[in-house]
Amino acid sequence: MFNIFELGKNYGDNEVLKSITMRIDDGEVICIIGPSGSGKSTFLRCLNLLEVPTSGQIYYDGTLLDDKLDTKRLRREVGMVFQRFNLFPMFTVLKNVMYAPMHVNKMKKKEAEELARSLLAKVGLANKADAYPAQLSGGQQQRVAIARALAMQPKMLLFDEPTSALDPELVNEVLTVMRDLRKEGMSMVVVTHEMGFARDVSDRVIFMDKGYIVEEGAPVEIFNHPKEERTQQFLNRVLVGV
Amino acid sequence: MNILGQLHFSEAAKYLAPSLLHGFGVVVEATIIGFFLATIVGIFIAIGRLFGWKPLKAFLYGLLEIVRGTPLLVQLVYIYYVMPLLINLIAGMFGYKTDVQITPLTAGIAGLAINYGCYMSEVIRAGIVSIDNGQTEAALVLGFGRYETLFRIVMPQALRGIIPSLGNYLVMMIKDTSLLAYVAVNELLLRTQTFASQTFYTIEAYTYLAIAYLILSVPLSHLVKFIEYKLSSASR
Repeated sequence: MFNIFELGKNYGDNEVLKSITMRIDDGEVICIIGPSGSGKSTFLRCLNLLEVPTSGQIYYDGTLLDDKLDTKRLRREVGMVFQRFNLFPMFTVLKNVMYAPMHVNKMKKKEAEELARSLLAKVGLANKADAYPAQLSGGQQQRVAIARALAMQPKMLLFDEPTSALDPELVNEVLTVMRDLRKEGMSMVVVTHEMGFARDVSDRVIFMDKGYIVEEGAPVEIFNHPKEERTQQFLNRVLVGV
Repeated sequence: MNILGQLHFSEAAKYLAPSLLHGFGVVVEATIIGFFLATIVGIFIAIGRLFGWKPLKAFLYGLLEIVRGTPLLVQLVYIYYVMPLLINLIAGMFGYKTDVQITPLTAGIAGLAINYGCYMSEVIRAGIVSIDNGQTEAALVLGFGRYETLFRIVMPQALRGIIPSLGNYLVMMIKDTSLLAYVAVNELLLRTQTFASQTFYTIEAYTYLAIAYLILSVPLSHLVKFIEYKLSSASR
């Protein structure tokens, strides 16, 4: 789906991404791990052009992404879930989920509502359709956010630290939904600090540091036999107690 | 020593009340149309200054400085007396003979809309800026365009947050319609002045005028407070 060549991103003199080259295939689940400030989120946000890369190329389905490309089409096909949920507070849960299908895809209200209700049932929140986001727990809000992204029937979902803003006991309900998506074959790129999830669920793990991909490979390789010293150091620090 | 015995409130009321009632209509009309247009002007200026192209930003900033740096009364006089002359003069220089005129009420409403629009734009701008950028990003990644995101997602939240401040501007505008008397709009003040100068019931007339403004503005400002209270309790 994505072919990325020497992607770079600067904020002024600050080089956040230095040179990222990788491909992401259909149906793949990729977890990106690494210390904070390593450029993981920036990389993810470049994939749907929330951040405009300063150098390098991204090809999506064979098309070069540049300013002229239909960014809207890309964003319809590649959904995103944020760390802080970003639900629309003035809408009910149901309206949050059906809003984009209705107004972006011009779906009929009745169909959009059916779709939204079925997606809410899928994330286990059918009974919260009429609640407002502020009335839900963080874990419930994040599940609504996933349903909202799914409502656009995307080919791929990007997750930007989806459980980092959650209380520890609410993390699992979100990860369970993501595991279910994996079983259905959804392509996902997940920036995460949940090492257990990265190890069990992903096809490939990418370790990033200081704007580079330091190491990538199957989760077993990365977690059990990391080749790079930097990866070992990071894993030693975060895996204490796992 | 009965002061009321010296005054003629009931007689003054008999002649002044019908006139003030008509004046009410003018004030309400000027305020409703003026406030509606001011809100549109304010939204336009706020968005232009936030997202516009550089020359537009500079132009709007200049406009704001001019409007905030001059009194509303001067602006009204300028729009009513100077603008038509200026337009005719400029048209004349290009060889067109025009006789542009502007009715007092139109000039008054235009002045209120521009003046209040400028002040309200700062409030609206602050309201837009206060909305978390995550809202914009969430809408963008769902496939909404920049302007759709602004008008469907950001503006409704921004306006909700600033309704109390906008309400205060509405109350202020009602009172400021008294300035329209100076461009010959037959509103409350002008009617009272006319009445007082004809009858010499000066004390009575202006007391009634003050009461008339109180009848308009006190309930409205309480309504604004009530809405503010409702909004703040609903958001908790």
